[in-house]
Amino acid sequence: MNLKLGNINIKDIKFGKKASLKDGVLNLVEKELEALVLSDENISSVKFDIAKPGESTRIMPVKDVIEPRTKVSGNGDIFPGVISKVDTVGSGVTHVLKGAAVVTTGQVVGFQEGIIDMSGLGAEYTPFSKTINIVADFTPVKGLTPHKYEESLRKAGLKLAYEIGKLGRDVTPDEVKEYEFLPLLESVQKYPNLPKVGYVQMLQSQGLLHDTYVYGIDMKLSLTTMLSPTEIFDGAILSGNCVSACDKNTTYHHQNNPVITDMFEAHGKTINFCAMIITNENVFLMDKQRSSDWTAKLTKYLGLDGAIISQEGFGNPDTDLIMNCKKVEGMGVKTVIITDEYAGREGTSQSLADADPSADAVVTGGNANQVVTLPPLKKLIGSTSHVEKIAGGFKGNMAKDGSITVEIQAIIGATNEMGFNKMSAR
Amino acid sequence: MVKEKYGKEIEVKFYEESLCELLFRVRDFVHIGHKLLTHPLSGSIKPNETKFKSVLISKEKSSEKTDLESIQIIENSIGLVKNFPAYEIPNEHFDHLRQIDLILISGAIR
Repeated sequence: MNLKLGNINIKDIKFGKKASLKDGVLNLVEKELEALVLSDENISSVKFDIAKPGESTRIMPVKDVIEPRTKVSGNGDIFPGVISKVDTVGSGVTHVLKGAAVVTTGQVVGFQEGIIDMSGLGAEYTPFSKTINIVADFTPVKGLTPHKYEESLRKAGLKLAYEIGKLGRDVTPDEVKEYEFLPLLESVQKYPNLPKVGYVQMLQSQGLLHDTYVYGIDMKLSLTTMLSPTEIFDGAILSGNCVSACDKNTTYHHQNNPVITDMFEAHGKTINFCAMIITNENVFLMDKQRSSDWTAKLTKYLGLDGAIISQEGFGNPDTDLIMNCKKVEGMGVKTVIITDEYAGREGTSQSLADADPSADAVVTGGNANQVVTLPPLKKLIGSTSHVEKIAGGFKGNMAKDGSITVEIQAIIGATNEMGFNKMSAR
Repeated sequence: MVKEKYGKEIEVKFYEESLCELLFRVRDFVHIGHKLLTHPLSGSIKPNETKFKSVLISKEKSSEKTDLESIQIIENSIGLVKNFPAYEIPNEHFDHLRQIDLILISGAIR
């Protein structure tokens, strides 16, 4: 598959009377956006706001972040199986509104949504302090169950990103990046002397409110399978989960998966990136056994020399990660795993819920228990009413001046397990 | 909620104790031959924010040997739980936490 991603650099976003995208300035009409999401009877109202990098603004509680994209040519359409019809994506031309993001907020499960600070210390821990954010703050109808609310919020965010993305359809991109993913045998023929390396992406799939959707299918119901990484750039994988903010892969993370872009960068030079495998992280131990067996079988069948395995979430998925690693290594395929840690506030305790000697090449996104104090910011989008209760918060953690002391697990993307963050050790 | 929904189909025991105490109890069951069927840290909910936790174990027990994989998972889970400082879970979260516990275990029972 060959996909060209045309990045249109977004310099500013404004609310106005006519929707347009010209010279990098995105104009949106609040009423139009409102009508789009209020068609869902489960949403009673929505408020829109724009948050820009460097502003003294705090957004919380954040549910999902989505990058507006649009399909210009090629098969299928963005977010297949959910917003557009099921059809294979990942080829042709897609335009990306680079630097813009749709951020959905709403308190779905009380403690499992996170914070985005647009300036100050918190801004250093989240990639979404660098994007211009169109924030949609939703209020559900009374009595709506959390999982129905999650579904409405998820779809509303995707609808907004889809419609906003369409404004970039006829705009000439500032840069075009081309990604080619060949059929396995062709790829091996083309690069006979390079090691064959695959990417095994583990997707959160522990049950309602903890799910990830692939072409609209709930991944916990699927066996380990394969797809082209370019399909993911077109929104084939969507976040539907409310796990803690630091290590949840938002839809934006999937659309911009840095493991994929880095592997493409190395493709043809140091490695032959020739396989993309997706697998789940179910609660039932028998499912874990089955899925990890399948992952290992596929890596062997494809003849891989190495595999990079990335995780999503904490606790239960640690076991899937280690099972995958152990079994893939057992097939003679070298692995590097990507995870994050909960090593206690001092960073000195056991950091994963599982371990094995075969996991001897590990990349960590950081220690989610690390404590930081976020300075007071002038503007708040959403609500701080749950600041003591979100994952990583604690009683009395908001000072009179508005500063908040939290573990970094409360910050969206702080210890991302795809490596989409800036934490590093020197 | 789990007991209400599944109490007739499967044997459900309810213990009013901390997560750590519950995991010790599960470990005892594993040591006498029961097999762990679901992961004790399901839901990626932090141990100190867990108010309700259902863990599924096998009804049958092997008299000959303990299941090593079950031992490893429960021991590692206990090890990690100790990292999280005590946290007072607000009462208004109880309903959500009950629902999540039910959802997670329903996914496994399905």
